[in-house]
Amino acid sequence: MNFTLKVWRQRGAGERGRFVIYPARDVSPAMSFLEMLDVLNQQLVLKGQEPVAFESDCREGICGSCSLVINGIPHGPDRGVATCQLYMRRFTEGTTITIEPWRAKAFPIIRDLVVDRGALDRVMQAGGYISSNTGGAVDGNTILIGKDRAESAMDAASCISCGACVAACKNASAMLFVAAKVSHLALLPQGEPERATRAKALMKAMDREGFGSCGNQYECEAVCPKSISVHFIAAFNREFLRATVAEPGPLTEIPSDPHAEFR
Amino acid sequence: MTRLFTVLLTSLGSKVVVALTGLGLAGFVVFHMLGNLQVFEGSESLNTYAAFLRELPILLWSARVGLLLIAVLHVGLTIRLAIHNRRARPVPYAVREYRKASMASRTMALTGGLLLIFIIFHLLHFTAGVVDASFSDRLDPRGHRDVYGKVIHAFQNPWFVVLYLAAQGLLGLHLSHGLSSSLQTLGLEHPLLNRLFRAAGPLVAGIVVLGNAAIILAIALGVLRA
Repeated sequence: MNFTLKVWRQRGAGERGRFVIYPARDVSPAMSFLEMLDVLNQQLVLKGQEPVAFESDCREGICGSCSLVINGIPHGPDRGVATCQLYMRRFTEGTTITIEPWRAKAFPIIRDLVVDRGALDRVMQAGGYISSNTGGAVDGNTILIGKDRAESAMDAASCISCGACVAACKNASAMLFVAAKVSHLALLPQGEPERATRAKALMKAMDREGFGSCGNQYECEAVCPKSISVHFIAAFNREFLRATVAEPGPLTEIPSDPHAEFR
Repeated sequence: MTRLFTVLLTSLGSKVVVALTGLGLAGFVVFHMLGNLQVFEGSESLNTYAAFLRELPILLWSARVGLLLIAVLHVGLTIRLAIHNRRARPVPYAVREYRKASMASRTMALTGGLLLIFIIFHLLHFTAGVVDASFSDRLDPRGHRDVYGKVIHAFQNPWFVVLYLAAQGLLGLHLSHGLSSSLQTLGLEHPLLNRLFRAAGPLVAGIVVLGNAAIILAIALGVLRA
């Protein structure tokens, strides 16, 4: 198969980026999208040119590293898969494929198609965890919960933090990510004691990182490689309202940026 | 108080206020349409209803101030959110394909802005009588203001018919996304009721547009006369 690739090239965060056109010849339909880019990069290296920088790790859809907007859709045209699980047979012979990085203020470009998703980590550091005593760890299933609840928590926990929801959102909002993390922990007995502070802390952290607000267009759900439902966003909205009304907490304010010392 | 503001100024807090005020405005729009349908019962009914609304100045002005406050909160916070959202993606995509986003959801800022302009025009037209002063001070035989006469006079003018019908289109689009979206923002989600919540927007929008358009068209086509 032959394609024309229109790839975003950018040397660094502050630099000006532009599209560069590369031909992709004799591509096997059985190649994954990333393997096709590997072949392109080999050709570029042989020609003495700079290869296209893109991120990948596990290449089996669970690490959340690969992050390409392909023809205007994060993770490309297939539903419920990451870029690494997308195969070239999915594309029409001879067409132009546009490849862009995740575009959001919170995700500054490191190089070409690689963006810094540290913002998602900092949101998690704000409260996306449970506090537990050190020492002999208690078995996770010591406290029994119902099957339905376990399934719902697992649906939310399947988030691989790839950031496709942010990339797809008109407002570059991370609500599906935040909602999945908050719901996952709020549904489990281990996460229950801190659910109110967690919901409020993650909300503030999301705003602080420069993500937009949710427009309820549900594009995030449509591109999520794990097909996480927007019902978790409604659940998170409820969680935030409940936290605000039922557990307002002490008057002392959470420091505006808990990570200031690490910057 | 500061704590209340810090909650309201988070993006979700602002969205909750926008959703609540939006639902308030949607409720007003529904009652406005139902009240106006009395035009089909004739001049006596509509003029008596209009007089009834104006009878209690305290009620009238508290409703007006309340609606104004709701509208200011709705528009003000939306503008604040929209500025924040624009800043969240400084470099746009070269190619963009939508999978789920409805036309209504993608044009909320546009339909909202145009609706605001229309509402100001509508108030200047029917309430203040600045756009077209005829009939504004005329009284019907019972001594009520002749609202019926003014409505009939307005929609016998084809320009007003086109303008008001276009505004119904905008209102329909804005309401169809806004209403269902408000329910989601308020966390109203339940496996048994989700279809109802998603359908509520288009359904209410459709009813309001049909009701209002029926009045305009009935007069324009000569079904209702002075």
